[in-house]
Amino acid sequence: MASRGTAQRPNGTQGKICQFKLVLLGESAVGKSSLVLRFVKGQFHEYQESTIGAAFLTQTVCLEETTVKFEIWDTAGQERYHSLAPMYYRGAQAAIVVYDITNQDTFTRATTWVKELQRQASPSIVIALAGNKADLGNKRVVEYEEAQAYAEENGLLFMETSAKTAMNVNDIFLAIAKKLPKNEQTGNAGTSGQGRRLVESEGQKPTSGNCCK
Amino acid sequence: MSTPEQLAIVQSKFTTGETVVIAMEAKLCQGWLKSTRLIAVVNKGSTSALVVLITSRNPPQVYSDLTIEKILPIDQDFQCNIGTDEEQQDVTDVFLNVTCRKTRTIFEMRPGIAATNLVSAIFQAIDVYQKNKNPTTDFLWIQKLTGSVRSLDISGDQEETISDPIVDLESQDINISRRNIATGKTPIAPRESVVRYQMACKEDDYTYTKNFRLFIGTWNVNGQPPIGITLQKWLSCDEEPPDIYAIGFQELDLSKEAFLFNDTPREEEWRHIVSRSLHPDANYEQIALVRLVGMMLIVFTQTAHLPHIKNVCVDTVGTGIMGKMGNKGGVAVSCTIHNTSVCFINAHLAAHSEEYERRNQDFADICARLHFSTYAPSKGFKDHDQIYWLGDLNYRITEMDAFRAKQFLAGGNLLPVLKLDQLEQQRKLGKVFQGFHEADITFKPTYKYDPGTDNWDSSEKGRAPAWCDRVLWKGEAINSIAYRSHPELKISDHKPVSSIFDSQVRVIDVAKYRKIHEDLMKKLDKLENEFLPQVTVDTTEVIFETLRFDEPCSKELIVANTGQVPVEFEFIKKLDDASYCKDWLSITPYTDFIEPGQKCDIKLEVRVDKRSAWKLNSGADQLYDILVLHLVNGKDIFITVTGTYERSCFGCSMEALIHIPVPIREVPAGRIMELENSKNLSQDPYSVPKEIWLLVDRLYRHGIKTPGLFETQGLHSEVLAIRDWLDVGSQDAMPGSVHSVAEALLLLLDSTPEPLIPYNLHSQCLSATASYLQCKQIVMQLPEIRRTVFLYICAFLQELLNHTQDNGLDAKTLASLFGSFFLRDLPRARDDRIHRSRTIQPTFDRKKAAFVYHFLINDQSDFIGR
Ligand SMILES: Nc1nc2c(ncn2[C@@H]2O[C@H](COP(=O)(O)OP(=O)(O)O)[C@@H](O)[C@H]2O)c(=O)[nH]1
Ligand SMILES: [Mg+2]
Repeated sequence: MASRGTAQRPNGTQGKICQFKLVLLGESAVGKSSLVLRFVKGQFHEYQESTIGAAFLTQTVCLEETTVKFEIWDTAGQERYHSLAPMYYRGAQAAIVVYDITNQDTFTRATTWVKELQRQASPSIVIALAGNKADLGNKRVVEYEEAQAYAEENGLLFMETSAKTAMNVNDIFLAIAKKLPKNEQTGNAGTSGQGRRLVESEGQKPTSGNCCK
Repeated sequence: MSTPEQLAIVQSKFTTGETVVIAMEAKLCQGWLKSTRLIAVVNKGSTSALVVLITSRNPPQVYSDLTIEKILPIDQDFQCNIGTDEEQQDVTDVFLNVTCRKTRTIFEMRPGIAATNLVSAIFQAIDVYQKNKNPTTDFLWIQKLTGSVRSLDISGDQEETISDPIVDLESQDINISRRNIATGKTPIAPRESVVRYQMACKEDDYTYTKNFRLFIGTWNVNGQPPIGITLQKWLSCDEEPPDIYAIGFQELDLSKEAFLFNDTPREEEWRHIVSRSLHPDANYEQIALVRLVGMMLIVFTQTAHLPHIKNVCVDTVGTGIMGKMGNKGGVAVSCTIHNTSVCFINAHLAAHSEEYERRNQDFADICARLHFSTYAPSKGFKDHDQIYWLGDLNYRITEMDAFRAKQFLAGGNLLPVLKLDQLEQQRKLGKVFQGFHEADITFKPTYKYDPGTDNWDSSEKGRAPAWCDRVLWKGEAINSIAYRSHPELKISDHKPVSSIFDSQVRVIDVAKYRKIHEDLMKKLDKLENEFLPQVTVDTTEVIFETLRFDEPCSKELIVANTGQVPVEFEFIKKLDDASYCKDWLSITPYTDFIEPGQKCDIKLEVRVDKRSAWKLNSGADQLYDILVLHLVNGKDIFITVTGTYERSCFGCSMEALIHIPVPIREVPAGRIMELENSKNLSQDPYSVPKEIWLLVDRLYRHGIKTPGLFETQGLHSEVLAIRDWLDVGSQDAMPGSVHSVAEALLLLLDSTPEPLIPYNLHSQCLSATASYLQCKQIVMQLPEIRRTVFLYICAFLQELLNHTQDNGLDAKTLASLFGSFFLRDLPRARDDRIHRSRTIQPTFDRKKAAFVYHFLINDQSDFIGR
C-alpha cells in the first residue's frame, strides 16, 4: 500500500522549502543582533554583546503558499570591518539595512550601505530598511516620513522596528519572505547547507530547477 | 556488505549457534540526522533478532571495527513495515520502519537486491516466530549480548528507554542522540525530506476521516448502442445519492473501425446516457473519461466535492494481440480525494473458458504497466491508498457442466457453482488479485444471456453461465454496502453489475496541519541553532608592541569550544586575498578540530623578514591584519592583529639608504616612505649606502685575514645587535664577530626589495657568462648606485682574495656566494612548489657564479676610474 502522507496536501504545504540567505548591515549598535535575537529566539538583551565577526542563525517562516527558511548572517557594524562585508552580502538574496531612529548618522550610514548593495550585491537582492529602536520615540531624530520617502525612491521595503518591544520584527522578515521570488533558481535551497559560506554560493548551479512548485 | 568476508566479520561478533543470516549497511534516521549503521538478522535456533551495529570503518575490516548498538528480538512485540520516499525524484530510498518495545526505529536503505533480501529475512523470521511462538526464555541469548534485560522486558520499564539512543519520532520532542552528533560524523539530511517524513508520521494528528459513498458499475454491452433505454435502474436504484461514480463499459463498439482507429461514436452516446441516468438527488460533474477501443471508464463526482479532487490522471494498457492492441486490457483513472489517493481500473481480460492463466497474466501486465505521470515521480497503480478494480474479468466455470450449473442456479443455489469460479480459485492460490477483496456474490451469473431476455444463452455454442463481471477492491477503511447485478437491462449478453462502498477518505484539517507544520519547523530551527558550532576566543585584538626586523615574536590565541558539537575551525581568505593572512604572520594551527568543552591554543607568530620589511618601510603594507576565523557550518569571528614596526636599514632599498645620512631611527617613518617612493630626494646622496660602507669597512679592518670569512655562520643575536647599532647609531665600536658582520652584510643585500642587479637584467647576465666583455657591458647598464655598490663590493672581495694564504678563500667560492645575492631569484609564493626544478637550478647557480667570477679575477681599474 502507498506509504502514507504522500498524497496531496493543502495549498502551499507541499513540503517544499525555499532557503534564502539574508544579511544584516548597518552601523554598530543600531540593533542588528537584537533584531535577530528577537526574531529567532523571541528575546531581548539590554546589554547585547557587540558582534565581532559574522554570526549565523536559522529561522523558518511559513507563508500561505510556501515555507521560507532564512539563513541569517548578522555582521559586525564597525567601520574597520567594512571591507569584510562583501563576503557576507555577496550571494545573499536579502538584506536588512538597519539604522537607529535616535541617531541621524546611522541613517546616513544606512543610505551608503544601500548604495553599496545596489552597486555590488546581486541585482535581484531584496533590501529592507529597518528604523530600529522605535520604542524610543521621544528621542527620535530621523523622521518616519523622511525614511519612508527614501525607501520608496530606492524600492526598499521599509518598517520602523523595535527589538525591545518586538514591534514589526516578525513583520519585516515576513515582508521579505513574501517579496522573495520563490520559483527562481536564486531561491534554491539545494546548494547551500546551513552555514555554508555566502561567497561560495555564487556561481554555483542549483541542483534542481524549481524550489517551490 | 554482501561479501562472505564482511559477513564473516559481523559473524565474529557472535558465538557458534548464533548465525548472521544477512547484514547490510543502512542509515539510521534520527529526526533530521542520518547516520550509518550495519543492520543484521541473526538467529539462534528458531529465534531471530535484528541487530544494529556501529562501525568505525566502512566497510568494517576487523572484529574491533564493530560495536553492537542494539538488539531487537523478533517476537510478538516486533513490528516492521516498509515504505518508500516517493516524492523524492532521484532517490527512492526504502524506509524500514521497525517498532519494538514501543520504540520506533527507522532505517533508510538503498533499494536493491540486498535490501530486498534483508527485508525478506526479517519477514521470514516474523513468520517463523508466528508459527513457534517461542517463550521469552528462548530469547535469553540476546541478554548475554546486550548485558541487559531491557530488550526482553515486554511489560516495559519505559524510563529505561529514555536513555535509548534511538529516536522516538512520535514523541513530542525530536530527541537527537547527542553522542551521535558528538562524533561529528552525522551528515545533516536535507530538511525537506525530514519534514515530509515527520509530517507523514504525524498524519493522524492533522487529518480526520470523512465517509464517501462510491458507486462502482461495470457492464459489457456487447457492442450494442444505447438506443431506447435508460440506465436509472442500474445507476440510481438506491435511495442515497453516491458521492462518486466510477462506471466502466466493455465491448462498447465491436466494429473494425473502433478496433483499428480507436474511434467510435458510441463513446459520446453512452457518456450522454450515463450522465443523464445518475442519481437525481445530487448534482454531478464528470471528472475523467478514458477509453481504449471498447473499454471505457467514466468517473463522476458530486459537484460539491470537486475542489477536493486533485491530480486527476488517466492511463490505458492494451493486452490484446501482441500484448498491445486495445481489444483487451485496462483503462484507469487516478485521483486524490482530499488526502487519499484513489485508483479506478476498468479491465477486460482475456476471453475463453480455459484461458484463466492468460487472464492472470493480463492482470499482472496491467498492474505493471499502469503509470500516472501527473505525480512526480509517476505513480504506479500500487501507490494508491484505495484501488477499485471493475470489469469483465472473464473468469469462467469449467469444472461443472453447463446443464448442472444451470440447475443449481435455477434453484437459487449459488454456492456449489461459486466454489468452482476460476477467479475465486485463482485468488485462493494467490495467482491473481493478491491483496484484493471481493464482497460475497449473491446474484446469478451475469453471462451469458440471449440479448433482450433473462434466458441463458441458447445459441449453438450454449456457453456455460459465468460471473464474468466483477468488482474488487484493495485498501483500508473500505466498506462494501452492496454487490449486485441488474438483470432489468437486457440489450447485452451480459448483465450490468454494481457495487456500493462506504470508504473513509482522509481529510486534512488545514489549520491543524499548518500548526503542526509550523511547530515542526520551529523545532528544527531550534535544533539547528542549538547545534551550531559555538566557540569563544580569549581576545579579538592581538597587539604586538614592538617588532624588529628578523626578530620573530609570537602570541597565543585561545579558542574554546563552548557549544554542543565538535567544531572544525579554519582561518579563511578574505574576498580577493591570496592567503588567509599577511606574509609577515604565521598561524599554527590554522585549521583544527575542537571537541566540546575543549580548547585549542593557536600560535600567532609575526616575523618581519627580508620579504616583508620593505613593504612596511615603503608603506605598501602595515602591521595590521584582520583574520577571519571561520567555524565550519557556523559563524565567523574577526581577529585583529596589529603591531608597531621599528624601522630598520634592513629592508630598505639602496636608493633610499644613500639619501639617509643619519641612523635610520632618527628619520621619521614618513620620510623613509617618501624616499622609498622616490619623493623629495636629498641633494647630495652618498655614492654607497653608509651601512654597506660601515660593514665592509669593519670586515676590511678586522676580518681580511680571518680564515673562513663568509663561510662561517654568525650568531643571530650578534646580527641583531649589529642591526640595532646600524639603525640607532652609537659611539661604540660595531658589536659582534666578523662572521656576524659578514652575515649582516649579506642579509642587508638580501633584504632589499630588489636584488642588486635588477631582475630585468638577470637573463642577460646569465647568457653573457662566456664573455667578460659582455658582462662588463651589462654592468655598465646598471643604474649608477647599483653599479657603484657592485663594483665596491667586488673590489673588496678582490682585496680579500689577495689574502688567500691567510683567509683560505678562493674566487669560486666567493663568486658563487655573492652571485646568489647579486642575482637573487624572485621570491617564491608561500606555497609555490613548482618553481625551477632541482635539475635546472644548479645550472642557474653556476652561471650566476660565473658572472661574478669575472669581476673577482679581472682587473677593474678601468671601471673604477670612471
Ligand atoms: N531601546 C531599544 N534598545 C535597543 C533596541 N535594539 C537594540 N537595542 C540596544 O542597543 C544596543 C545595541 O544593540 P545590538 O543589537 O548589539 O546592535 P548591533 O551592533 O547593531 O548588533 C544594545 O544595548 C541593545 O540592547 C531597540 O529596539 N530599542
Ligand atoms: Mg551586533
